[in-house]
Amino acid sequence: MREIDVIIDSYETAKSADVPCVLATVVHVEGSSYRRAGARMLIDENGLMTGAISGGCLEGDALRKALHALHKSKNKLVTYDTSDEEDAVIGAQLGCNGVIQVLFEPIDFKYEENPIELLKQANREKKLMIIGTFFHLEKSKDQIGTTFLIDEDLQIHGKELEPKLNNQLTADCKSAFEDNASLFREYAVDQERHYVFLEVFSRPTMLVLVGAGNDAQMLAQMAEVLGWDIVVTDGRPTHASSDRFASSCQVVVAKPEEVLHQIEVTNRTAFVLMTHNYAYDLSVLKALLNKSEIPYIGILGPKKKYQRMLDDLANEGIELNEDQLAKIHAPVGLEIGAETPAEIGLSILSEIQSVLAGTKGGKLKEKEGPIHLKKNNEFKRIIIE
Amino acid sequence: MSHQPIYLDYNSTTPVDERVLEVMFPFFKEKFGNASSVYHTFGWDAEEAVDRARDQVANVIGAKSKEVIFTSGATEAINLALQGTFEANKGDKNHIITCETEHKAVLDTCDQLEKRGAKITYLRVNTDGIIDIDEFRACITNKTLLASFMYANNETGIMQPIQKIGEVCEEKGILFFSDATQAVGKIPCNLNELNTDMVAFSSHKMYGPKGVGALYIRRPSSIQPQIFGGGHEKGMRSGTLNVPGIVGFGQACELACELMEKDRERLQSLRDWLEKELLQLGSVNINGAKSERLPHVSNVSFEDVEGSKLIRALKGIAVSQGSACNSSVIEPSHVLKAMGLSHQLAYSSIRISLGRFTSEVEARKAVQIIRGAVEQLRMQLQ
Repeated sequence: MREIDVIIDSYETAKSADVPCVLATVVHVEGSSYRRAGARMLIDENGLMTGAISGGCLEGDALRKALHALHKSKNKLVTYDTSDEEDAVIGAQLGCNGVIQVLFEPIDFKYEENPIELLKQANREKKLMIIGTFFHLEKSKDQIGTTFLIDEDLQIHGKELEPKLNNQLTADCKSAFEDNASLFREYAVDQERHYVFLEVFSRPTMLVLVGAGNDAQMLAQMAEVLGWDIVVTDGRPTHASSDRFASSCQVVVAKPEEVLHQIEVTNRTAFVLMTHNYAYDLSVLKALLNKSEIPYIGILGPKKKYQRMLDDLANEGIELNEDQLAKIHAPVGLEIGAETPAEIGLSILSEIQSVLAGTKGGKLKEKEGPIHLKKNNEFKRIIIE
Repeated sequence: MSHQPIYLDYNSTTPVDERVLEVMFPFFKEKFGNASSVYHTFGWDAEEAVDRARDQVANVIGAKSKEVIFTSGATEAINLALQGTFEANKGDKNHIITCETEHKAVLDTCDQLEKRGAKITYLRVNTDGIIDIDEFRACITNKTLLASFMYANNETGIMQPIQKIGEVCEEKGILFFSDATQAVGKIPCNLNELNTDMVAFSSHKMYGPKGVGALYIRRPSSIQPQIFGGGHEKGMRSGTLNVPGIVGFGQACELACELMEKDRERLQSLRDWLEKELLQLGSVNINGAKSERLPHVSNVSFEDVEGSKLIRALKGIAVSQGSACNSSVIEPSHVLKAMGLSHQLAYSSIRISLGRFTSEVEARKAVQIIRGAVEQLRMQLQ
């Protein structure tokens, strides 16, 4: 299960038992930290914490701050400064070296557009969504909180925006969608300042396993741990059977050319062709080539098999363009010396993760610079007349 | 009914600003919690208030909040800085460089450290009250641990070349502590632009309550705590926090940020006018006039006046003669003497320090009173 799903589950439980709770959100990080902006944790009145905002160093203090916010029924911004820390007070255990802003929002169960209801909506949507959180670095000011969603068509859900902010904010969301990267803004309107975290809420990764053999069973199990949505498809009802896969997997029995009919493909949908049936894999590949939004197609089997597929496609007059060649990963997986089904699963999932995250999939020790790419991390200041 | 004299001794202390007082009140009564009580909302409220105050205090000196340690005042902060640094580096380096015109809080602490094995160099100042940077540089040895120079002098308002001192300290790899009690909140002190490792300052010099001060510490590992018992303030200064005082200090800092420019401009022109008026008496010297000085301070020497009678003749105004902290013993000011003033002239000097609530009318009255008194005393001498 994804962290966000666990948080939502925990919220539902708290709501039905009427146990007050607080959402803690990392709204900005300057420098390095274990978790980045967008990390969330739900804390209930009894101190139960779901999710995480750090590697464990901030949670203890965060509990107190959450309970305080709850007591006051008021949002609260807290700064955790672990920069240049020589002496281990907080954070130093993990070598964090950053200034982390955490917003605590007591949740009003009765309010239909409370922060978690908005998260639920963003999580449900197939469309890419931006979730907007207003806060103020000057802590004595009102901390407005998580109040709206904007979808790819720039439709606003949730609380209406201040008219003066509307245009600029919509324009910024547009560029965040285009970049597929969250961003931070400081809007100066008259004498007031508004700090906002516009988080591009990533859709869950969907993994489509074409082939329902024993190796696919293992891969599905492993992908489930990552919280990915899983679809298993095969022409053989004996293999593509819901008995063989976890209940959360969608199992589809289909002819190769029909596979795509039942799947809603997005730019977070990864395919792995692993039927061990050359003809089936080839027909599915042919169908996938027309779907430009698919970011990843992995093909199980040796290079020879892939070459044969390319030759056969060429004989049919289908020449693959550069984009198509780039997203096909054959043989599938990273080179980690995998032998057993579980090891192969690890190799495949690591490759998919790296491709979807836009990284090289190498060793971090060989990477120059910070672990996380810090795109658009600064508060860009915009004066609105 | 007795009339209160005109208060012109803001370097000694300041009245608490109404706006400061107002935010303090709840923390005596309904929000009386202990900032270290972690289990209930009384404690959380107090902790939140202290956190906010820490931000406000850090902001006035351009520091990070976590670099600010609350103390009972500047004297304690100075003691923590000097003793703490000495203790933390004992056996390694033991040489401290400071100067003759420092406040007693620094000089007396240095005396104590000397008894514990520290070597102290007291730099002289020139007639303008300024140390010689080359002399300072020449004093630094491989045993030098720390330099301690005040930002602005409490008696004269003269500012040491803090920027240059910091550069030398950085170059030579020694720690730099500055007593900025008179400067913070009065003039922009952006520690980001200075190479200070520690800076002490106080609330009651900037319209906050007495009994609270702060030490800015850039590298906590270079200091050994001096007060133990509970690990408050990250273990740097144990003891239950003075929450109302700290809240007031924070508010005073915020007000200072807001009003500094206006206050500074107004008081400087008032001070300059006042000095011009007093100079017309003749045989009057403004001490440190050639140096960069705090805008609201004037240290004036009157020749041909008997010093012991001067302060008593100025009944209508509250000013001080020499440094207030050692005026229980009548001694000429060590600061003025260090600047080369004769005993006699040092005796017949007064410090006028203006503040946020000094009006033009008061300044005009003060001039009248001083002129009257000086003229009368001079007649007596003839």
